[in-house]
Amino acid sequence: MIDIDKFDRALKRVEKPARYIGMEKNSIKKDLDKVKIKFAFAFPDIYEVGMSHLGLHILYNLLNNEEDIACERVFAPWIDMEEQMIEEELPLFTLENKEPIKYFDFIGFTLQYEMSYTNIINMLYLGDVQILSKNRKETDPFVIAGGPCAYNPEPIADIIDFFVIGDGEEVILEIMNKYRKFTESNSSRLNFLKEVSKIEGVYVPQFYRIDYKEDDTIDKMNPIVEEASKVIKKRMVINLDKSYYPDRLVVPYIETVHDRIPLEIFRGCTRGCRFCQAGMIYRPVREKSVNTLLNMADELIKNTGYDDISLTSLSSCDYSELQSLVLQLISKYEKEQVGVSLPSLRLDSFSLDVLKEIEKVRKTGLTFAPEAGTQRLRDIINKGVTEEDLTTAVSYAFSEGWSTIKLYFMIGLPTETEEDILGIRDLGYKVKDIFFSMPKEKRKGNLKVTLSASCFIPKPFTPFQWIGQNSMNEFNEKIYLLKNNIRDKKVTFNYHDSKLSYLEAILARGDRRLSKVLIKAWEIGCKFDGWSETFDFDKWMRAFKEEGIDGDFYALRNRELDEVLPWDFIDIGINKEYLIEEFKKATEEELTRDCRLGCNNCGINKSFTGGVC
Amino acid sequence: MNLRVKFTKENYLKYISHLDLMRLFKRAFRRGQMPIKYSQGFNAQPKLSIANPLALGIESIEEYMDIDLNKKIPEEEFIKIMNKELPEDIRILDVKYLDNKKSISSQIRWGYYQIKVRIGKIKDVKLLESLIKEWLDKDQIIIKKIKRKRKKIIEKDKDIKHLIGNVTISSEEKVKLSDSEYLVTINCLLRAGDNGNLKPTDFLEGMDKYIDVDIDMDSADIKRLNMFSEEKGEIKKPM
Repeated sequence: MIDIDKFDRALKRVEKPARYIGMEKNSIKKDLDKVKIKFAFAFPDIYEVGMSHLGLHILYNLLNNEEDIACERVFAPWIDMEEQMIEEELPLFTLENKEPIKYFDFIGFTLQYEMSYTNIINMLYLGDVQILSKNRKETDPFVIAGGPCAYNPEPIADIIDFFVIGDGEEVILEIMNKYRKFTESNSSRLNFLKEVSKIEGVYVPQFYRIDYKEDDTIDKMNPIVEEASKVIKKRMVINLDKSYYPDRLVVPYIETVHDRIPLEIFRGCTRGCRFCQAGMIYRPVREKSVNTLLNMADELIKNTGYDDISLTSLSSCDYSELQSLVLQLISKYEKEQVGVSLPSLRLDSFSLDVLKEIEKVRKTGLTFAPEAGTQRLRDIINKGVTEEDLTTAVSYAFSEGWSTIKLYFMIGLPTETEEDILGIRDLGYKVKDIFFSMPKEKRKGNLKVTLSASCFIPKPFTPFQWIGQNSMNEFNEKIYLLKNNIRDKKVTFNYHDSKLSYLEAILARGDRRLSKVLIKAWEIGCKFDGWSETFDFDKWMRAFKEEGIDGDFYALRNRELDEVLPWDFIDIGINKEYLIEEFKKATEEELTRDCRLGCNNCGINKSFTGGVC
Repeated sequence: MNLRVKFTKENYLKYISHLDLMRLFKRAFRRGQMPIKYSQGFNAQPKLSIANPLALGIESIEEYMDIDLNKKIPEEEFIKIMNKELPEDIRILDVKYLDNKKSISSQIRWGYYQIKVRIGKIKDVKLLESLIKEWLDKDQIIIKKIKRKRKKIIEKDKDIKHLIGNVTISSEEKVKLSDSEYLVTINCLLRAGDNGNLKPTDFLEGMDKYIDVDIDMDSADIKRLNMFSEEKGEIKKPM
């Protein structure tokens, strides 16, 4: 345990001390001397962000259900706490037992976004743990990682001992079993790594050699130990309805980003939007049954006391029995003042009745994501919504009393023209016109339309994985074009920082040569890069320069279809041929149907489920 | 059914804010299936009112709140169920059903605090008592209050003399840390509530400003010991 006097002194000097105290309802504090395995679940961002992450709650409870395992949480301390910790010489510790993370057997990071990588390095540093995998000694913790960004693990290959690719709850106990055996034997760290590399879905980067061509692209990637396989197949929970889900969640004292019960209704998505990585890597769709969900909701409300249930998934309106689920939840909990909310509304599947029900208990702003300003471009990205979908949905929303509408777009999508850009403005104006075309007495509230544009980042395992990103100049020109053309008090335009998106693009599709850039950037002082107040682009550019690495090579270059991509060794269950075919269809503005309307032969059902999706 | 609840907020839970505490109670009520009344409207909130919210970082062994129940729960049962749902550092000590509807917030007039603080630049701790007495005998005690109005920061002078009641130095708890530094325990009665309120940190600031000693503000451990109402000039317990 850390020195509590020092800890107390530090707490007095920081802005939100409750981030570091732990002791929340349903948190689990075991006697660390009495367990066999100590697992630190590490989230490389602040408490409020990390506690809103569903995966944390699943794995935390799953691991702690094992009597001989203690899973404790650790988050990135905010800048003020970090300063105090350095001044007081406090090593990074877990919330439950305030135990330094260096004394744990595993430090497991979840990789939710690329711009948290410097925080991983910083947390290891603050925790007194070697940053490079190769420098860790026999008794040091194993630093492992999983989550969506692990589908291209290469940029942090030098830092992480091994990755878990796919659904973590499917694999983690197998790893723990291997570790139990390992602790009982006299085996070495290296042997344990060899042992886990035999588990499907586990990737040990140090067991692979990568050869590069003269043009700096990858020539080949080969295992250098017998145990490591050439292809790493993702792990997947096949029957989500029967799979583990916690009946309780740690309930934070302070307000977090998502302060509610996340009820995961399904995994995967059938839409096939061509820019969307989640839509590809989480295939196929696996639903939970209404019954299971109702039981889960009941337990979770009883055990947490939350008054809001959020039905989470990639596209919640696509849940096959959404209406039934929502109606039952609402009729059951309305009296107890428990509300139901639906993130990620889609314009086309917009179910008016469901929305009406939800509105009974709580009314919030509505958010839609047309993603692109014209039908042509929406077809290219296979976002199957039309302008009519939008106008129908918005008209309905206004007539029902909503007045705050947010529309999400991406700029820099392949083949984008000025017309597509201005189409974003046009849609915003159209929404405004719909509002004011209603008779005055029917308009409720004060209209606010927000158009929000992010910069398109090509991601691995999508049909756009070969495409070069727009340069920062191109992005900025497009942003200014829109900014200068939106002149209406009722319509607000927000946009993302193109610099951040450029870096994200580099890391998203980078290879392991980027590890040293990451470490250099951290040495220069980069951390919390996803936070505008701490993000420092110039430092990043210095890091690239000092390491002699060209970011444009990763972000901006159009890649050949036959190029070996850094993540090609991972098998997500979808054929590469399918992605190529989708890429070609995109250039021909050809749509691909929703999987539920008929199989598109992506290969997922052959890889995993024995023919059914 | 109006129920007055006396509770504590100790140790690390001093670091959760008033709003956090309201949320915590709301969730604990739901877990304990307490029939608490809700306000009307889209954003219905449970009817609970906590008297004189504590500032972040201050502990208390005597806090009060009034809640409204749809049906009567026996006192002991309420305490038992809620203490099972609440964290260890928030304990319900006592509850009482109220006949009148005079809210707790409107009744509180005084807070009694214990402040443990390091004080430097004093040769003898006995001197401190007379220094404090002298300080309290002044006609005015002016401190600077900083108010934030949007982005502007406005400094205002405030006379706090009439907000300070009894001040004592606990004699058994004086720890000599060095030749000129002591850990001192000050007990003070300060105005609380709508008709004048003084935060213990502002009280310390006043001391620091007027008395020629070094008060290590960072070191202050503050705990609220009691809250009082006042009737016809007489100080009373609110339940």
